Amino acid sequence: MMWKEKYKIGVAKIDEQHEELFRRVSDFIRSVQAKGQWEEKLGKVKETLNFMKDYVVTHFRDEEIYQQKIGFPGYKKHKEIHDNFKAEVGDYAQKFQQEGYSEELVQEFGGKLMAWLIYHVAGIDQKIGAYAAGKEIEGQ
Amino acid sequence: MKAEYINAFYVATRDVFSCMLDIDTQRGELGLVEDMITGREANVIIGMTGDLTGSVLYSFPDKMALDMVKIMSGMEMDKLDSFVTSALGELANIISGNAVTNLEKHRISCQIVPPQIIIGQNKSISMAAEKALLLPLKTEIGEFEINISIKETK
Repeated sequence: MMWKEKYKIGVAKIDEQHEELFRRVSDFIRSVQAKGQWEEKLGKVKETLNFMKDYVVTHFRDEEIYQQKIGFPGYKKHKEIHDNFKAEVGDYAQKFQQEGYSEELVQEFGGKLMAWLIYHVAGIDQKIGAYAAGKEIEGQ
Repeated sequence: MKAEYINAFYVATRDVFSCMLDIDTQRGELGLVEDMITGREANVIIGMTGDLTGSVLYSFPDKMALDMVKIMSGMEMDKLDSFVTSALGELANIISGNAVTNLEKHRISCQIVPPQIIIGQNKSISMAAEKALLLPLKTEIGEFEINISIKETK
């Protein structure tokens, strides 16, 4: 996954976290799509999956705190989007526990996660940046 | 079927393609079809409920689907595996979600059902309405179609 300048929302901490999130999701996807036997790749897949998963929770929390701090009017709806996604990730985690980490299921999770994250950062999160920029101008 | 329904999907597709893939989308001539059939290899069906019910079929040539996921992932893709189809399903889900938001501006309230993937051409999909509208779309990485079969419930 390529990080692009246009993804930046102009809030340093969030932009850094987004870039880190892209790196971690990319590492996870690369481990899933690497050539070779699934059983041999699985160790790396689980490692990158956990490394990425923890960061999603941290980032969502920090971003929600920031939204509240600036009085972002879309906070409630945005938190709902985060919560829904966390629930979906939770569903996959449960399936991995119950059915095992099959290549097909992990690939399915990876594909969805990638597309979701790109749109969330490139599209939805831009509203936070636009609002924060407007507030700055207002405060001058 | 009203023009605003089609436009809601076209605008959503154009916006999402531009945002996620940096690709421009141009619409071709709208057609009326009797059946809903997968015209291309990689297909995503999204069900709709609420003021409008039915289904929307996104149909991509396999090469285009692989290119789309290549753009998103930055990695070469050579087959329509679960990673590729799931990313495609989510993209269609995002487009449909945006289309629903666009429809809300016309006071039409709908919900969408999670995506379903169908691989292969010439597969028939059951329709809610008698006819479906076929919207061809052109991009620099290929041509694809959106097949819309919805009816009003109110």
